[in-house]
Amino acid sequence: MKTTTPAWLIVALREVETKLRDKAFIISTIGTLLVIIGSIVVSSILGSRTAEFAVAATDESSYEVLDQVQKDKPGDMRLSIAKATEPEARQQLADGELDAMLSSSNGSQEYSLTGYDGVDEQLSQLVADGVDTVLTDRVLSSAGLDATSLPAADALAVSQLQGDADRNSMVKAMGFLFSFLFYMAALLFGMPIANSVIEEKQNRVVEILASTIRLRQLLTGKIIGNVILAMIQLLVFLGVGLLAAYLSPLEIPFLGVVSQVAGWFVVFFFGGFLVLAGAWAALGSLATRTEDLQQSSGPVVTVLIAVLFIGLYAKDGFLVAASYVPIASSVAMPIRLLSGEVALWEPILSLAVLLATCWVVLLFAEKIYRRAVMHTGGSLTLRKALKLEV
Amino acid sequence: MLELQNVSRSFSEHQVLDDVSFTVPGGALTGFVGANGAGKTTTMRIIMGLLAANSGTVSLNGVELSSDTRPNFGYMPEERGLYPKQPVIDQLVYLGQLHGLARSTARSRAMDLLSRFGLESRSKAKLESLSLGNQQRVQVAASLLHEPDVLILDEPFSGLDPIAVDAMSSILRDYATRGVPVLFSSHQLDLLDVLVDHLVIIQKGRILASSSADDLRASQASRHRLSLGSDAGWLRNEPGVTVIDISGPEALVNFDSGTTAQRVLSQAMERGTVNEFSIYRPSLADIYREIIR
Repeated sequence: MKTTTPAWLIVALREVETKLRDKAFIISTIGTLLVIIGSIVVSSILGSRTAEFAVAATDESSYEVLDQVQKDKPGDMRLSIAKATEPEARQQLADGELDAMLSSSNGSQEYSLTGYDGVDEQLSQLVADGVDTVLTDRVLSSAGLDATSLPAADALAVSQLQGDADRNSMVKAMGFLFSFLFYMAALLFGMPIANSVIEEKQNRVVEILASTIRLRQLLTGKIIGNVILAMIQLLVFLGVGLLAAYLSPLEIPFLGVVSQVAGWFVVFFFGGFLVLAGAWAALGSLATRTEDLQQSSGPVVTVLIAVLFIGLYAKDGFLVAASYVPIASSVAMPIRLLSGEVALWEPILSLAVLLATCWVVLLFAEKIYRRAVMHTGGSLTLRKALKLEV
Repeated sequence: MLELQNVSRSFSEHQVLDDVSFTVPGGALTGFVGANGAGKTTTMRIIMGLLAANSGTVSLNGVELSSDTRPNFGYMPEERGLYPKQPVIDQLVYLGQLHGLARSTARSRAMDLLSRFGLESRSKAKLESLSLGNQQRVQVAASLLHEPDVLILDEPFSGLDPIAVDAMSSILRDYATRGVPVLFSSHQLDLLDVLVDHLVIIQKGRILASSSADDLRASQASRHRLSLGSDAGWLRNEPGVTVIDISGPEALVNFDSGTTAQRVLSQAMERGTVNEFSIYRPSLADIYREIIR
């Protein structure tokens, strides 16, 4: 009984199946997922933890200071203040019921804040500010002035015309994430394409395969299989990351923009990865043994590191240029999209350039592959491979 | 019938095949012999479409094959190769699917072949855990899975133990009986002698002989072996007798006719004792040595 399942699909399914049975792959995927979830959980726990202090005043003027502190403290801090005699307060400090006690001396001109084995820095700063305010108010009122009539300390407000500080740091963080995901996937799924080509070359299965199906089908199947795996893994990482961010109690700014750009990133990632996949397959067919790949993969790894750095550091004109260069655009264009100042035609044009490059690279890879994969004696250079006759 | 016509191929400056023509008839086993480097593997790769010929054609039943794949051919390459780390049954099913079989069909065919080779209990073992002989059986199974219309086997007997050689021989016979053209190369000339119906001899890229084994044998069948009581040197001067070899009382000669043979026999008996006077049937090994000389 004959079937009409195309050969490339059978090859692609085998790639996926083999990989899904590979323990190292499963462990590394689960590990990365745990790191993503863990980092979001940890950051939301750290973010939502509110500081809580209990301070006692041993005299009336100290209580006045604490009252001032209570008014000025930031919203996410809880402060309970009380009056107590000094021996009581010392006892409570020792028991851990109090964080500090405040006492005045020298006619309420000097104050001392005492902790059991140290005082929290945030608390002591607040109390110091409170003391300042109280003492200043006292001097002012003795001079017959009202403190509210003085110019405020925060008379100057700082703002920026281009974007805003919060958004810029978000772009930076996401830029790092995109670059890193792309770099990791390009190695994690690109290298296996090369290895799988070498394996078949080394074991000479390729001779049987090549006499059964067209090499183009074999190459296409290999690339598609690994692209499917890379895309599934990327979608799982992004999906779980966004979901965890969405569910976390902490309010994450720009979640809407980030989700939208993540969609673009998936598309650009796909194109960039296809270009790299072609390059990896060609490299694999040039090598004879897995060890050869260590040397020949140098240029591709260099390109990947360059892309990683572009994602991390490129700015302005350079970033705009990079967003049209294939492979680099996979990272650079999503970063530009995050800052929200890109017209719709720009990512579409960049994508068109990327897909055209894909096509050319795949054709070239096939040409190299066809010539080199049947070659057995020693590894080849690109030039030698192109000279080989089929 | 598989037919090669005027196939030539060179690698850079080196001419590997020079105007190679021969046929592989259906329903017969064709042996392909020649020294190392004579061009056997290159010929087989061209038949399989793995290499392109510089000139000449390969045709099956009169239809010229393009430089495309040959999905209905069964092929066992000289350099054996399957996936070492994959279970035996999985890779057979995979290869079967690539040949266009449904997964279930591929699985049942693979199990049939494995049980025929006595390997059904090892079907889930990784290939690399099998002995070399058993790996080779799996390799053969891989080439037979899709019930090919043509079988091309490069050195199928090398590295097999005598039992496996018998199993292999019977499988090849089996396919030939179904009318499938079977071409295989081998260096084991004694094996060819009992197995093949047809022989192709190649040397330095040229075909020296290509005909049925019986014809080849018949072409040398006028030879006689003589063992006399005394020196056989006098045979050199007999008309109609070509001496191939004489050592003392033993001689290997060609008679130009049956009459000459009878005359020489009676003369020998007059001269003394005749211990042996027989028609010498050369083995294919002898013929091969004769032809490539």
